[in-house]
Amino acid sequence: MRKLGVALLMAGVLAGAAFGAYPEKNIQGYIMWGAGGAMDNVSRAIVPIAQEHLGKTIILQNRTGATGAIATTFVANQPADGYSILFGAENPNLYKVTGLSQIDYDQFEPVFLMMANVGVVIVSKDSPYASYRELIEAAASGKTITMGSTGPGGLPYVATTMIEKIHGVKFNKMQFDGEGPCITALMGGHIDAVAVGLLAAANFIHSGSVKGLAMISSERIESVASVPAVTEAYEEYRPYLPWGAFFGAFVRKETPAEVLDVLRSAFAKAFQDPRFDEFAKTMGGVKLGITGEDAKKYIKQNQSVAAWLLYDAGGAKFSPADFGIERPQAK
Amino acid sequence: MEQNLQYFLIPFLSWEMMMLIWVGVFAGIWVGAIPGLSVTMAASLLISFTFSWDLNSALALICGVFVGGVYGGSITAILLNIPGAPAAIATGIEGYPLAQRGEAGKAIGLCTTVSVFASFVGILALSVAAPVIANFSLKFSPRDFFLLAVMGILLIGSIGGGDPIKGITAGAIGVLLSMVGMDPSTGELRYTFGNIYLMAGISFVTAMIGLFGVSEALTQFRNAGKKSPKQNLDRIIPSWTTFLKYLPLSIRSSLLGVFIGALPGTGGDVAALLAYDQAKRTVRHPSRPFGTGAYEGIVAPETANKGAIGGAFIPMLTLGIPGDAVTAIIIGALYIHGLKPGPMLMIETPHLFWMIVSCLSIASVALMVLGLVSVKPFAKIIEIPKEIIMPVVIILSVIGTYAIQNSVVDIFYMIGFGIIGYFLRLYGYATGPMVLGLILGPMLDANYRRAMQGAENQILPFLEGFLTNPISLFLTLSIVFLIVSQTSFYRRWRGLE
Repeated sequence: MRKLGVALLMAGVLAGAAFGAYPEKNIQGYIMWGAGGAMDNVSRAIVPIAQEHLGKTIILQNRTGATGAIATTFVANQPADGYSILFGAENPNLYKVTGLSQIDYDQFEPVFLMMANVGVVIVSKDSPYASYRELIEAAASGKTITMGSTGPGGLPYVATTMIEKIHGVKFNKMQFDGEGPCITALMGGHIDAVAVGLLAAANFIHSGSVKGLAMISSERIESVASVPAVTEAYEEYRPYLPWGAFFGAFVRKETPAEVLDVLRSAFAKAFQDPRFDEFAKTMGGVKLGITGEDAKKYIKQNQSVAAWLLYDAGGAKFSPADFGIERPQAK
Repeated sequence: MEQNLQYFLIPFLSWEMMMLIWVGVFAGIWVGAIPGLSVTMAASLLISFTFSWDLNSALALICGVFVGGVYGGSITAILLNIPGAPAAIATGIEGYPLAQRGEAGKAIGLCTTVSVFASFVGILALSVAAPVIANFSLKFSPRDFFLLAVMGILLIGSIGGGDPIKGITAGAIGVLLSMVGMDPSTGELRYTFGNIYLMAGISFVTAMIGLFGVSEALTQFRNAGKKSPKQNLDRIIPSWTTFLKYLPLSIRSSLLGVFIGALPGTGGDVAALLAYDQAKRTVRHPSRPFGTGAYEGIVAPETANKGAIGGAFIPMLTLGIPGDAVTAIIIGALYIHGLKPGPMLMIETPHLFWMIVSCLSIASVALMVLGLVSVKPFAKIIEIPKEIIMPVVIILSVIGTYAIQNSVVDIFYMIGFGIIGYFLRLYGYATGPMVLGLILGPMLDANYRRAMQGAENQILPFLEGFLTNPISLFLTLSIVFLIVSQTSFYRRWRGLE
């Protein structure tokens, strides 16, 4: 009996140490995209501020590959103790319909969604295509246009599929490890065009290293006002918009609520920090800043648009209906 | 111009920056020397606590660590045959036999001197030719990266020990292991046997620590009790004649380093290996036959990996594209400090460019002083009995592996590779080719497929590209030459045999 008491006491002490003082050791952060890309930049901007509020370091590393499925699967297999954070974009929303992986955000709880991203179609500064219409017409005339991509499910992949579907054209595609390498290849003239997130492309557009042909949105974006909205050239895009990417931090669903609260509050504080504001402005992205149920709803909406788009375009192996993903409602 | 000079002088006029550069170099040398703690890791750990500093101080420290860390990796390669980083693999091949002859001091002294020289070549290239080199590096297509990887694979002939069959076998195992995990472009699982831990693939750094660190330690235990060679430490700094003798090779290899470093995604490791191979093929009368302690075999890789430092900054500062893993981390740091790394960097913050040039220059001077001062204490390490030093190596290997991503599984991998490496060595297989295969496998795989996609998966246009694009043609011809130069016919003709 006394032994049992001691054991219980010890268990209590251990449990207290485990939950009471979170975080009591450094936290691992796994970024699903490579260095220099938008996901990487957003993570590396918010983490140093968030960890000031946590009192422990979040050690970031890039775990790239398979449009983020490697990092997602990896974190899903770590203990649900809040010591492994997934820094993920919208990609897992398509894992099930592309057959890439069975592990998506259903297994995760959003800690915080930091930023949203809008797609932009860019060409190199010496490109023969001066407008979006010219690019599309060249593709429609049967000319081979090579587009950069980041693998099934990435923003470039979905955006390219959307363009192909709307105009009934077919692009040749080249796969890279991230949006950064896509832009590098574009500047070197190894691909003709690429649809990437504005966050990765903004500085290159500002400096004139690449030309922005169209924003994949129904209106122009303030930070790059010179780039026309795609609907200015083609009204046909309207039913698919708004559509874009998002960047968030996630932990496993089974993570204790106290731990989740600590993380959420640290990220929320970091999000409101003027330093992060400054970063968001520099990058040219759209600040999101949602958590909890709102974040889940946002993710579901994004999934429904992208999954059905991909499925209708023949780019998905499985129907979204198989996984209970509802078709987006016409607005 | 006058303004640029002013920017250049900023670190010289600040005690704090000066000091931080020296501290960075010192820390870099020692951290880099520990198996498993690479310069990339040192930089990423340090950067996280420089976020609250002002930018100048943070950059000073990072530049110091970068220069010191690349150098540190070579020290253990020479002394213990355990490269601290992939960039030092080739150095160990020649350096370790030298240490066994009691010439460790001389080897490190030469290594330090040519390193500093190469580091300045890189800095010079960065300051005078950055835009030109950056634009040239952009022209490298996936096909060219594929050719570079093929060129790297040919290195197996150089670092594979005597028996080509054994070298190729070890290299092929390495390439095969690098394929384990999710396919990078389609996400299909390859060789994972449903095991979740295999899905993320096998990190080549983990494998390297095992194959070089632990397997070397295990091999050395067989020599326990034997007396270590007495080190001659009279003449550490090479004479002018020696330096001048190696000058043409130093210039060639450091320029090679600058170019390879400037290519996005390739850094000092590939540069050093290619330079070693290049030296081995072209130096007609090495100080000793290659593989037994040729000084040329230290000069070439060491100058290449130091030249690659300046090279890696070129695309980063002019285009905002990281040249290697360390510059990728620095780009992240610049964002935190509210800057826009990218094509606007030079326009909006021109002082940054010259300040980095200046920090790197000071770091190179610091490397000269700190490097030469530490030769004697370093050389003493080798005289420590094997039964004491090797357990320390194993412990450091475990810590280093764990520190990469705090993963216990990685430690098992590392020990597994250590044991495999031990048996490979026992049966006369070199471990170098296996690591080479692990490093180059993904580069071969991804770039071959990209090149194929660029040719719309048509075999003829794909092959045509090798002949019509000038860079590809040059690389293709180089590879043909590399193969021809191995034939006995050619070697007899050139008087190499």
